[in-house]
Amino acid sequence: MSQEYDAIVIGTGISGGWAAKELCESGLKTLVLERGRMIRHITDYHTANMDPWDFKGGDKTTQEIEKKQYKQIRSTRYAVHESTSHFFVDDNEHPYNEDKPFDWVRGYHVGGKSLMWARQVYRLSEFDFEANAKEGIAIDWPIRYKDLAPWYSYVEKYIGVSGEKLGLPQLPDSEFLKPMELTCAEEKFKNEIASKYDDRLITNARVAHITEGTKPGLGRVTCQYRNRCRRGCPYGAYFSSNSSTLPAADATGKMTLRPNSIVTQIIYDEKNNRASGVRVIDSETNEVTEYKAKIIFLCASTIASTSILLQSVSDRFPNGLGNDSGELGHNLMDHHLRLGASAEIEGFKDRYYTGRRPGGIYIPRFVNLGGSTNVSDFVRGYGFQGSAKRGPNNGNGSNEAYGPKFKEAIQTPGPWKINLGGFGEILPYHDNKMYLNYDKKDKWGLPTVTFDAEIKENEYKMRKHLLQQIGEMLESAGFKNVQTRDKGYYYGAGIHEMGTARMGRDKKTSVLNKFNQIHSVKNVFVTDGSCMTSSGNVNPSLTYMAITARAANYAVKELKKMNL
Amino acid sequence: MDRRKALKTIGYGSGAITLTPAVVGLFHSCQNNSSDFFPEYFNKNQFFIVSQLMELIIPETEIPGAINLKLPEFLDGYISIIFSEERKKKILIGLESFIEVSLFDSEKSNPNKLTNEDLDFQLSKYLKADLKKKNSWKKQESGYQKALHNKNKSTKLPKEALAYGFANQLRSLSITAFRTNEYIGENILAYAPIPGEQRGCVDLMETTGGKIWSL
Repeated sequence: MSQEYDAIVIGTGISGGWAAKELCESGLKTLVLERGRMIRHITDYHTANMDPWDFKGGDKTTQEIEKKQYKQIRSTRYAVHESTSHFFVDDNEHPYNEDKPFDWVRGYHVGGKSLMWARQVYRLSEFDFEANAKEGIAIDWPIRYKDLAPWYSYVEKYIGVSGEKLGLPQLPDSEFLKPMELTCAEEKFKNEIASKYDDRLITNARVAHITEGTKPGLGRVTCQYRNRCRRGCPYGAYFSSNSSTLPAADATGKMTLRPNSIVTQIIYDEKNNRASGVRVIDSETNEVTEYKAKIIFLCASTIASTSILLQSVSDRFPNGLGNDSGELGHNLMDHHLRLGASAEIEGFKDRYYTGRRPGGIYIPRFVNLGGSTNVSDFVRGYGFQGSAKRGPNNGNGSNEAYGPKFKEAIQTPGPWKINLGGFGEILPYHDNKMYLNYDKKDKWGLPTVTFDAEIKENEYKMRKHLLQQIGEMLESAGFKNVQTRDKGYYYGAGIHEMGTARMGRDKKTSVLNKFNQIHSVKNVFVTDGSCMTSSGNVNPSLTYMAITARAANYAVKELKKMNL
Repeated sequence: MDRRKALKTIGYGSGAITLTPAVVGLFHSCQNNSSDFFPEYFNKNQFFIVSQLMELIIPETEIPGAINLKLPEFLDGYISIIFSEERKKKILIGLESFIEVSLFDSEKSNPNKLTNEDLDFQLSKYLKADLKKKNSWKKQESGYQKALHNKNKSTKLPKEALAYGFANQLRSLSITAFRTNEYIGENILAYAPIPGEQRGCVDLMETTGGKIWSL
């Protein structure tokens, strides 16, 4: 295998897939490295067509899973079942340390978390890009919404995003395919909120699913509404690297994809003040190989990319590649959640729905947007995701306690219930961090990661407000038995870890510039969640795609101009 | 003799259950002599009682009952791979308490002698109890669990409360087993492995004939 390439992409998830596609389509000979095993689209989704009765435990979280993914299930039990656990890493095999609790949810395989993600996609808005500067918090983003808007459009047209156009400044519209339908109970909620509030609304979840026609990739067609997305979709109906960006990169003939390749460091060439390539351990043979390239895209996921930079020490960078600012590993953010509300909805006894919708409803941020929406005791905002559905009847009343009548009852639908979960913004605090522990090494002799991060006063106050508001909204809609809950948030539970190699205008306070280049090593681009300067309150994957596509196209232009 | 064949031969079904002790004994001997199923979690006697209870909860109607659907077999495997050691221990204590109270109430000494009437009486006592009684059992049970948690070994077992907890849990596990059953999922409930379309608000009767979706 040739060891010299035009470009190296580290990681094959949401960001790495996009980097691979853009760089290959621009004609660059590209090596794509993935630390985990190969997962082929469709062929390797071996549980995709299995029914609950095809699993011994009915597709639940077994004791074996409890032992294997004992950290990840603390907050991700809803996703780690018999049908999906093979996509989540074994926590025993891949240990990490917690100064403070942190759920590090990982998928080590080709496609990364793009196979297991929740597929909710929302644009950041100008409110998000301006907030740090306006409020004097951390540092300013080096870009604004207008810099990213065309790239949001570019990636959305390619991946397919279903949703409803609203024209809200705090939640800019995407390039939408038709939204999935609301249930009767959700329609009622939408109408009640519209008639009782003028500052907030209910809309369809915006999800990366094809709802009409087809999209490029490996035969990507319209969603079949099976809601088995986390097992891998044989229809390619939701966006994943495996069905979409990696096949596009492969089709150019320019991509070499190398699974089982753990990047241990980016090699720095002091003479030329640039990165010359990467050092890789083969995860199966432990063989070490070096690959050279003109540019490197680091897209290994927030924590892994930051680890690789921290491991890449040299005389010039004793604290990690590009870490002149000392910010590398700091400003760790996520979205705080594990709180929300539920209620029962009367009526609609003769109504039901068809298809298993892989999405739900969304309540866009409605606080701290200026004027009467401003709240005095915290900054930033939150949104809600959830659904109103009709669960099964579990038998009520003494004549349905057990026996023939009970048996009949449990075959019928029960009452309509609504359940909503809050997603709040976490501010970038310098002392929320991850760092490497060289005393505890993994089986490849690499240092393990230690997490030390927690939410603070702003987030706690926001949670209080969030719960009060959602409780009021459900009450005002006339729903019964409204119950709010706060199960207590700890870091990582949002699976939106970000910010540990942030973008900024000044190399003294940030790691990356406005095109995601390391300030002092311009041929290294970092475009996953680690680049985030603030977190916003929406699911971030769409932003990573747009940022990656933008950076990759910039990199190609700079290469052509011989600037890299 | 095959227990399932025996069930069919004697026409065990059509709703109300009035089995004589002799018939229960027949099942028991069938199971002991010729069943090729070896429970992973329950012992043979426990499995037998659990099977009878599940059949009372989900009896044969025009749709097969728990035993014909092999729901007890599913439950045995389910508990063995899903339940933690602590939950496993708890359900056994519940079952043993249930049996003990059943023996006491029926003035019998051997669990093998418990008839379907005896078991039906017990289920009715627990599952059809008024709310006040249920809440009092729940309180006793949680008090016991707390004491156990605090390693207070002298705590006396509130047997009836634990038996209630078991009956309630078995009812809910029977629902899980029923809805996770291939025959029920594919033939009795509304089955749509590949719906192909999504509509948010449709007429229940027109769409599924009043049944829930199985997936």
